[in-house]
This record gives sequence, C-alpha cells and structure tokens, in this order.
Amino acid sequence: MTNQTRTGVSRRTLLAGAAVLGGSALFPIEQVKAAGGIKTLRIASGEADGVKGTLDPAYGTNDPDAARAGLVFEGLVKLDEAFAVQPSLATAWKPNDDGSVWTFNLRPGVKFHDGSPFTATDVIFSFRRLFDPKTPSPSAAWLAPIDPENIKAVDDLTVEFKLREPVVEFPELIYSHKVVKAGQTNEQVRTAGIGTGAFKVERFVPGEEPSTYVRHDQYWQPGKPGVDRVELRSIPEEAARIAALVSGQVDLFWDLPLRGLTRLEQDKNIVLQTAKTSFWLGLAAWTDTKPFDDPRVRLALKLAANRDQLLKAVLGGHGSVANDQPVAPWIKFGLPDEPRKQDIEQAKKLLAEAGYPDGIDVELYTSASGSGLVELATAYKAQAEAAGIRISINQAPAEDYWSNIWLKKPFIVTAWSGKGADAALARPFLSDAEWNETHWHNDAFDKLILEARRTIDEKKRGELYQKAQELVRDDGGALILLFADAIGATRANVRGWKLHPQKLSQSYVDVTIVD
Amino acid sequence: MRVAPIPRLIVTRLALSVLSLFVVSLIVFSAVELLPGDTAERILGREATKESLAALRTQLRLSDPAPERYARWLGGIVQGDFGRSLVADRPVFSYIAGYLGRTLLLGGLALLIHIPLSIGLGLLAAARPDGASDLALSAAVLIGMSIPEFVVGIFLIMLLANDLQLFPPLALIDQAKSFGDVIHMLALPVITLNFAMTAYVVRQTRNSMIEVLKSDYVRMASLRGLSPLRVLFVHALPNALSPAINAIALNASWLVGGIVVVEVVFNYPGLGRLLVESIRFHDVPMIQGAALALSAAYIAVNLVADIATLLLNPKLRTRTA
Repeated sequence: MTNQTRTGVSRRTLLAGAAVLGGSALFPIEQVKAAGGIKTLRIASGEADGVKGTLDPAYGTNDPDAARAGLVFEGLVKLDEAFAVQPSLATAWKPNDDGSVWTFNLRPGVKFHDGSPFTATDVIFSFRRLFDPKTPSPSAAWLAPIDPENIKAVDDLTVEFKLREPVVEFPELIYSHKVVKAGQTNEQVRTAGIGTGAFKVERFVPGEEPSTYVRHDQYWQPGKPGVDRVELRSIPEEAARIAALVSGQVDLFWDLPLRGLTRLEQDKNIVLQTAKTSFWLGLAAWTDTKPFDDPRVRLALKLAANRDQLLKAVLGGHGSVANDQPVAPWIKFGLPDEPRKQDIEQAKKLLAEAGYPDGIDVELYTSASGSGLVELATAYKAQAEAAGIRISINQAPAEDYWSNIWLKKPFIVTAWSGKGADAALARPFLSDAEWNETHWHNDAFDKLILEARRTIDEKKRGELYQKAQELVRDDGGALILLFADAIGATRANVRGWKLHPQKLSQSYVDVTIVD
Repeated sequence: MRVAPIPRLIVTRLALSVLSLFVVSLIVFSAVELLPGDTAERILGREATKESLAALRTQLRLSDPAPERYARWLGGIVQGDFGRSLVADRPVFSYIAGYLGRTLLLGGLALLIHIPLSIGLGLLAAARPDGASDLALSAAVLIGMSIPEFVVGIFLIMLLANDLQLFPPLALIDQAKSFGDVIHMLALPVITLNFAMTAYVVRQTRNSMIEVLKSDYVRMASLRGLSPLRVLFVHALPNALSPAINAIALNASWLVGGIVVVEVVFNYPGLGRLLVESIRFHDVPMIQGAALALSAAYIAVNLVADIATLLLNPKLRTRTA
C-alpha cells in the first residue's frame, strides 16, 4: 500500500515549500537601493482606510487620504497655524467690492509631475469636477456658492470665480480643494494622481500598504523636497505605532494618544511635538426637547462642569479648556474670554427656577468612536451629579455612532475637528444646517453669520463673528468643554517638520533626514 | 467491494463543500443586509451630505432589491467572477488572493513551529506522567493559552523588540529586503500564535500517548524485545496522534480567520482584517469573497486532517465499504 509513515514529514516539507513559494510570489521584494543614496521618510497614520483609500481630493475623508493628497497635490492657498490663508499655487487674490467675484493670480513656472505646465485650465477642471453628478463629492455642498460654469480663465495664469452669492472668506472656503492636472479620469486621480506637489506617486493600490512616493524633480520650490522618497502606511494600534517608532520602523507620525507618553518623552531618539488645535470635545443637547428646551437648564449643565478637572481626566492635560463656543481664542476671530468656572450652587438654582427643584434625570449617549468620548461622559456624569443632574450613560457601538446616534438622540457626546471661525460656527449652529446637532434655532445668530459673510471689512467681520460666539456660548445647546492638543513624534534624525494643528494640512516639503 | 477510502472521502467532501459554500454565502449576505446603515454612509463618512449619499447609492446600485443583488453576485460566482468591491471599486479576487496568501504564509509558518513543538512537548509530558516536567509543562502551556494574544503580542514587542532588539516589532513585510527578513519580521507573530495554540495539542498528545503506552499491543511490542525508540515512534506514536491531529486542524482553521487580533497588533494585513474592515463598510462582494475563502480554507484544512488520520490508522484505511 502506501508508505503512510512518511506523510507527516512530506506534509511538513510541503508546507514549508508553499510558504517559501508563496512568500516570494506575494511580496515583490523591493530591490535593494544603493546603500545610503536614497533618503526615505516613513510616515504612519493612526487611522486606517483599507481598500477605501484614495488620492482624489474630491473624496478624501480621512487622515491617510489627506496625507496622500497633501504629498501629491497643492491648493490655490493653504492654511497657516492660526487658520489664516497663505499663498500656495496662487500668489495673490482679490475680491470685487461685495466679494461675489474673486480673481486669483497663479504662480508661474509650476510644473506637473508629468512635466506639463500648470495653468488656469487645471484650476477650472479641478473645481468643475467636484460638481459633476458622476463625482459624488461630499465637498459640493460646502462649495454651493461656486457656479461651475462661471469659473473663467482670464489668461493662462489668472482665474476668476464668479460666485452665486458674495463670500468674503472665499479663500478660506477653498483652501482644502487641491488642483489636479486637467483631463484625468476619476480613476487616474484616485491612484495615479498627477499634481504639482513635492512628491509624485510611485505606487498606490487602495488596500495595499504602504503607498510610496518619490520626489518631484521639477518642484517649484528650489531645493525642495528634502527627502527622496516617502512611504505612507497606517498603524491603527497605538502601542504598535509607538513600538514601530521606537525601533525605527517608521520615522514620523502626527497622532499620538494624549495619555501614557512618559516612555516616549524619555527616549532620546524620539522628538515629540505638540500643537494647540481647536478640535473640540463636548456634549450636545437638543434645545427643542425637555428638559433642554429651557435655556436655564442648558446654562446649569454648562455650570456643572469642572473643565480643568475634565482636561486632566480626559486629555491627560494635553489641551485647553473651552468656553461653550467652538472658536478657540488663538484662532482668527476667536473670543479671548476666560472659560466658565464650575458653580454648583448657581446650577442648582437655575434648575429650580426652570421648574426642576429635585434635579433632572437624563440619558447621555457616547461611544469609543473617538479618543476621550467615553472618558468625557464618565467624568462629566460624576461632576454633574452634585448639581442634581443625574446622568445615565448609554455606550453605543463605535462603528455606527456617527450614523445612528449622532443627530438622532437628544443628548450625546460629540467632537468636531478644528475649523476656521465661519465653518466652526455655521456648520453645527445655523438653524438650517444639516448637522445642527443641538436643534438650536436662533434668528439673531443666523443674521450675524449671514451679515459677517457679506462684510468685507475684516475688523467689523470679526466683531460680528464674536457676537455670534457669545450667543452660542450663553444660549446654545452645546457644552463645548475641551480643545485637544495634537501630539506628533519623529525620530530624532528627522528635521524640518512642524506639526500642523490641522491634521489634513501637514506638509513634508521641508523635511530632511540627517545621518 | 472495496473502494479506496481516500479518493472517496475527497470526492464526497468536495461535493458537500460546494453546498456549504452556497449556504455560507446566503447566510453572510442576509446577515450583512440586517446590519444598520449602508455602504454609501460608510464610504462618505460623517461629513457626507444627502445629495452625495444619493449619488453614490445610485452609482453602487444599492437601491436594487436584495434578492436581485444576491442573484447578480451568485451569477458572477458561477462564472468564476467574484465581483467588484463596492468600496475599492476593484475586482474582489485580486484582494482575496493577496490577503489570503499573506494569511497562509503567517499561518503556515506558525503551524511549521506548532506541529513539532506541541507534539514534542506532549511526548515529553507523557514520558513521566505527573512528574515534575509534566506538571511544569502543563502549567506553562495553560498560562500561555490563558493570556489573551493581544497581551502576549504587546509584551513580546516590548521585551524582544524594544528592549532586547532581537526582532522588529511589527511585521511590515514590505520593508523586507530578502525572504530571511520576512521570516525575521514574522517571528514575533508566530511566537504569539504558538502561545495561544500549544496547550490544547500538548494535552491531547500527552493523554492519548499515556493511554496508548498502557495498551496491550505496545507492551507486546516491548516484550518482543523491540527497542524503546522503535516502540515509541513506530508503534505507539501513529495511534496516539489522531486526537492531536484533530486539535491541530482546529488550530489551523483558527489561523486562517480568527487571528485578527494578532494581525492588528503586528500590523499584518491578513484575511481576517480584510473581512473585519469590509464588514465595517458593508462591502458585500468583498465580505462574500473573504467568507468564501475562509470557508474553503476551513474545509481544506479539515479534509487534510481527516486524510492524515486515515493514513495513520490502518483500521480506518482498510475498512470495506
């Protein structure tokens, strides 16, 4: 019969053979580059997007997408650390009298990755495609004032946007919209992306890690970029990401957890960077639903919070306390006032005046869908109890939180990424905003925002936005409690990188790696 | 009439497996349908607007009735077309092949260590039942099994990668410059997996070996004057292995789909992770493809285990039909 006693051995040999064969076939093992010649910057994102990944600035919704687009493409303007606009592909811009027509002068001598020159045609193409029904870009709604048919090339290096309505902060509206070379299909933009950025795509297949980029030799900033190659990958598990940096498997990342950093702080091969951001964490209550329909109850909720304590408990101290309005003091037009102090007696008094002498019982939804959201609920619950605000916490599944709980439950823990004053105020708080998470309808507020948007004079505009902030602070249904810092880290031999407070505005143009 | 049992086994199993795969696909499809939310919401994320959601739904044909979508998918499968991932907008097959390949590589390496290690340890324990080495071994492997893989993985990273610097912490195999590097990078996940798998097989091998060593035919063999080694490896071991093989088969099927946690800790893109991510996005064709690949691997592993058992057991092998 068969020589069965050998099968065990042969199966093992077979497995080994399969492993070896499989290995060499599956991983095109990178050709060893001339030693020391090529400087590669290895970046890790904490967010993973798997097979969903894209380079296309029309779709990018998450960190790796933004990082890819930031390497390959550039916008007309960019945001500095105070969220003010600075020149990028446009060198200058000016509005007409009421801000309904904007003219951008484009930077001469800029070359795309394929060597072709950058002109007004590319700008028009890049904005028009956002409105193409075949491109369901989430951006289109924000850019509603743009009339795609009325973007005109005045000459090769001048573009004019004739808007449907005046927008005095138009450059702020479009800073994140990158320019792609005209004529590319959606699929080309998604994976091959021809842009003007400092790096061009070497290899990007959605779902295959890492994506790699090489320097754009004809980049318009002389002598830049400072590295030859970039590798970008996602390492979602925090401990793993830190281990990879410590052991030198990656060089840089921009999203460290805010707690448990002692080990990294002591490592002399690692440099940590902190940036103040206006990413806020807080609670949102429906102002048309009992008991939150009474402004006194909302104020009581705000007064019950001990913000300094929350800052330590939720963010490990890496952040700032907020004052129930979303424009941080260091952001352009931000109100510079002192945050509310906890006042339990006043909170009780307000509740009693509102008809709740025995306090209130409310259900608060939270989830682990963002760092600190669960901790915030727990810590606030403990503080509010003293004021007779009895909270039962309902921890919902993280996966569905933003589609099934947010905007659908009356009292939730929420978080918003940092934005400029107008977007930070308008998107959650305008009466007809799609994301009006507090169901707040305040005509005075709406009028202030709309008037600010028509006010060319910057000082007057600032005053209007500050008045709007006061209304949100005193009457709104959101408890805006904390602004979280961003913490990034690099290996010590990485130079020239500055952590940008806005994740999607990171730049690697100036980064160099020393030996 | 004698029918060779192994070919018969293979043919029956393959026929049954087609049926199982069909049932699996139906269950998986229905389960995904029951999940709240849809692919368009997951793709566009929190900042999506109603208009862009509607446009994407039309593009992905999400509003077609569920039976129609299932039938369309099944029609493709019959022709060998796994369909396109809704999220990646690329053929499912290219992903499944890559991810399954990596899973098989990691799983294969882990088994390569696992099989001799756990059987060897089982034999060692059986050599002196309830002796000091037996007790110490049992305790050690049980502790190894009881600690979650996640904790073992992080601990190994801190100890062997960050402190002692023996291995790279993460399995970033794209950074490997040779196949040796790949092995080096996979060392920590392989060790972690072995922590989790060893205990059961060691227990099975030990117990059945003790049984077999007590049996009449083994004593007979010894009395006939055969050398102890020959008695152990040629007479006793093959019979003692059947329970161990079943336990190894269980571990092997776990390796194909259940090691997401290890894949996450070591940042290794395996099939389990692809499946979890696809479920997050409601990417039905991709989920179906991954589930089919997992089920097929599971069926194959069990088939191999049964064949191995048959080959080791003359009684089963020669039974008449």
